Amino acid sequence: MSFEGKVALVTGGGRGIGQAIALKLASQGADIIINFFRHRESAEKTAKDIEALGVKAETIRANVGDPAKIDEMFDMIGNKFGRLDILINNAASGVGRPVMDVDVKAWEWTMDINARACLLCAQKAAKLMEGRGGKIVSISSLGSPFVLPNYSIVGISKAALEALTRYLAIELAPRGICVNAVAASAVETEALKFYFKEGLVKDNRQVTPAGRMVIPEDVANVVAFLCSEEAFMIRGQTIIVDGGTSVGPFTLVSKES
Amino acid sequence: MTVEEQIREIVARITHVDKGIITRESTFKDIKADSLDIVQALVAVEETFEIEIPDEEAQKFKNFGDFVSYVEDRVAQEGKV
Repeated sequence: MSFEGKVALVTGGGRGIGQAIALKLASQGADIIINFFRHRESAEKTAKDIEALGVKAETIRANVGDPAKIDEMFDMIGNKFGRLDILINNAASGVGRPVMDVDVKAWEWTMDINARACLLCAQKAAKLMEGRGGKIVSISSLGSPFVLPNYSIVGISKAALEALTRYLAIELAPRGICVNAVAASAVETEALKFYFKEGLVKDNRQVTPAGRMVIPEDVANVVAFLCSEEAFMIRGQTIIVDGGTSVGPFTLVSKES
Repeated sequence: MTVEEQIREIVARITHVDKGIITRESTFKDIKADSLDIVQALVAVEETFEIEIPDEEAQKFKNFGDFVSYVEDRVAQEGKV
């Protein structure tokens, strides 16, 4: 698996899952554009780590919830690189609330970043992939097929992202663009610490059949595979990375009990 | 309009409170601002003053006055006013 000579954009690529994906693609030879919004320091550190791998790294600050900022980001990519081979829609945000407490502001904020941005980035990326093909992988979560406490709006936005993935996969197939998604259960990241603190996610180490929590590198490995030619015939799918949790929900009891 | 007045207007618009009740001592809790209100206020202030406010700095704000002081300092440093 080699991405030598490829240019990849990872939205939210400075931390957590996005950072692991950026480093994984870079380790296979891709030049990386790291989009970030609120965490410049970690994005710049990730860029340095990527350059140490012998490939190019750029950072771009943009709130992907704002269509004008997405336009600016892709204009910059077009001017600087003239093309794009891989788009990873990873940036996400959300408001932890029960569905009855979701108001218009929370809905728009979450949907704009988690779903609309994936559409707009894919549209822009497809133009930069014109004539050469490409790969688009978006990061979903188990909050789409399953109900998680206080996760409503995020789960709904991820369901939109997964449906978008299917439509893009079919409509962009004639252009040689492969589109898929990866859905993870709770992943050990800084963001998860927030979810723990807010009581949105419980520690699931004891109940994951694989015996440990999912780490960002687990997700990055699958994303990299989907970006490779080996995955050419996988289209419009959402691959679940959860250590087996979702296929055995009735086995979800603590190993100590 | 001063930096403080502009930030007060932004915060009042986002949190739907009367700007008259926002003092330098007001905490985000006092004005019933939730985490989304705070992020949106930060984004709006960043765009208004063309500055970046890292989350690590924003987390140190104990009240509206801290927020204003930080922005005033940044604006002065960068010669935006």
